[in-house]
Amino acid sequence: MEALRIIQEEHQSLAAILHAVRFMLKEIKAGRLTPDFGLFKAMVHYLDAYPEKRHHPKEDDFLFARLKQRTDEGAEALARLEHDHTGGEGRIKALEAALLSYEGGEPDGLEITARAFDDFAEFYRNHMILEEREILPLARKHLTQEDWDAIDEAFRTEQDPMKGAAGEDFRAIFSRLVAAAPPPIGLGSGPYKG
Amino acid sequence: MTTSILEIRDLCVSYGKVEALHNANIRVGEGQIVTVIGPNGAGKTTMLSAIMGLLDSRGELDFDGKLRLAPEVEDMVAAGMNLVPEKRELFGEMSVQDNLLLGAFQRYRSGKRDQAETMEEVYGLFPRLKERREQMAGTLSGGERQMLAVGRALMAKPRLLMLDEPSLGLAPLIVREIFRIIAELRRRGVSILLVEQNARAALQVADYAYVLETGEISMEGPAQALADDPRVIEAYLGLGGKHQDMLAT
Repeated sequence: MEALRIIQEEHQSLAAILHAVRFMLKEIKAGRLTPDFGLFKAMVHYLDAYPEKRHHPKEDDFLFARLKQRTDEGAEALARLEHDHTGGEGRIKALEAALLSYEGGEPDGLEITARAFDDFAEFYRNHMILEEREILPLARKHLTQEDWDAIDEAFRTEQDPMKGAAGEDFRAIFSRLVAAAPPPIGLGSGPYKG
Repeated sequence: MTTSILEIRDLCVSYGKVEALHNANIRVGEGQIVTVIGPNGAGKTTMLSAIMGLLDSRGELDFDGKLRLAPEVEDMVAAGMNLVPEKRELFGEMSVQDNLLLGAFQRYRSGKRDQAETMEEVYGLFPRLKERREQMAGTLSGGERQMLAVGRALMAKPRLLMLDEPSLGLAPLIVREIFRIIAELRRRGVSILLVEQNARAALQVADYAYVLETGEISMEGPAQALADDPRVIEAYLGLGGKHQDMLAT
């Protein structure tokens, strides 16, 4: 069940990034931090390239596909998760548009951006809860050893769990985000250098 | 099965009449990450302290193929074991670089002169420490202090590194980075014994795991098997997880 470990690890990385963005926006609102737009954009890029383009397709193609072959249980939840996965591009565009308005000096730019990230976080929270509470237990229950061997192999061989298909090294990107984020959430060596 | 770098058998530690650790049996294979999870007060820190020779204990301790009775801290460091304590225990009035050098003191005393090279390796793992090498350790952020504590332990070139709650008090972003570095240390051949309350993160990075409850090992197995065990899920992982809670609006 290596695939489950990878999925949960990726959920944690995603949640950590979202936690950091929202923390920074809150501090900016309180006047204790100035925005680092380079860092915000890099974090949005990570949210786009990592979960939307990499994490979700793996789940759809390997885990969900096998589960559907084994059981009808959880069909509604699976349909919802797959529907969620198709909306990735729109969600990212909403974040980018909000950031652009903020960077461009729109009067409500900060508010709009904070709300966009709150919505994104809320979406992902519900998505993860559904996946981890309903689908992963069903996968543990219904999938056979043969299924797991195939799924684990697919997750492992697709690439290094943090390497992007386009050759992006997500480990290195993640480390740069951690380094540039301000304390106490990061190491404070910003502004972000891509 | 890999060769053992550490094996403890029937390890017991008492504080007065209270037995804080009872007949603990743990094995760490060469190049493995082994984690001990459990609630507060289960005896996790006590166990690491006893292994390191910081507390009196009973039982057998086999490190690197040699039986060590009543281990002493200095002997264990010289033999290739080191501990990153929960409270970091840095010297706040000393620079980052000097704190690192202190970690190499025993090697220096025994005639080894590879400190500069080792420091570059540490800086390679933690570029932020290099940027801040002249800064007083007391002025570092929590994440930087944890990195310095790990870096200082690595200056002794340990073969077994024991980490006591490395994620404690750190923001999620830094916790992820610390665990990435722990995995990187394994790739570099360092064996790791990791004590953590953050069971989810610990089980993800570890090869093998033990559950310690009220001073006794209650479960053990490959980390992934424990992560999938309903009893561990219920007691330590919950139905959701901290990563979901941190997204609450």
